[in-house]
Amino acid sequence: MYTTAVLIFGIGFTYASAPLYRIFCQTTGFSGTPMTGTSTINPNRLVPSKNSRRIKVTFNADTSRALNWSFTPQQREVCVLPGETSLAFYTAKNESNKDIIGMATYNVTPSKVAPYFNKIQCFCFEEQMLGAGEQIDMPVFFFIDPEIENDPLMKDVDTVTLSYTFFKAKYDDNGTLIPIPA
Amino acid sequence: MSFGRTPNISTFNSTPPDRGSFPLDHEGECKQLVKEYLQCLKDNLGNNGNCRHLSKAYLKCRMNKGLMVPDEMKNLGFHDEETNDNKDK
Repeated sequence: MYTTAVLIFGIGFTYASAPLYRIFCQTTGFSGTPMTGTSTINPNRLVPSKNSRRIKVTFNADTSRALNWSFTPQQREVCVLPGETSLAFYTAKNESNKDIIGMATYNVTPSKVAPYFNKIQCFCFEEQMLGAGEQIDMPVFFFIDPEIENDPLMKDVDTVTLSYTFFKAKYDDNGTLIPIPA
Repeated sequence: MSFGRTPNISTFNSTPPDRGSFPLDHEGECKQLVKEYLQCLKDNLGNNGNCRHLSKAYLKCRMNKGLMVPDEMKNLGFHDEETNDNKDK
């Protein structure tokens, strides 16, 4: 009886661990998962901290093999002060002759910066439809939290890399947008 | 939830960025400002501080064309740094 209970608990826990891990990552920014705010950002956090060093943000762009888009960052780097909001652009072009839906995810390295890297607005996690042959500029509006200055573990952070990956997506039978693996 | 999917692809409803996703500028209505901003970044070796007025102009353009929910500039981090701008929006 006792063994059965333990067994059931064990199996239950194993099934729960995947979604739990995902929730954990998104809440704590563990392992580079970017933190996305659940409340509107207080404008007082958006003040550039004048006496800090500028942090260099570089950009990376990838697409899944299934997606026939060319996708590139439009600037090599942007140097920002903590608290200073900044704009960056990517360009995506649908190289095929069909309309395609893409969906982007992003990641920030080094992983420890993820809790401080805030996206105000970008083009990720929602579907983006490009017509055949269409080319579009995709902006990212972000800032680095000025609290980064108070964290001794962040003292050696000079460069942050923002990586976007575009996947091909489609609607499944339930009407949920899902990525199509390569 | 299903398993056996490639890791890192999440169909979980990820919380979007604070203001969600930018609508795509299919008509290229603000494209000129994009070009100006990128040129400014090139000229300033990526220093964001000198190009913020162009970021602000770009976001204003988006708001005017219905490509962004209108909001006050200070909520987007543009406090009156430039002496000309006293009343934003």
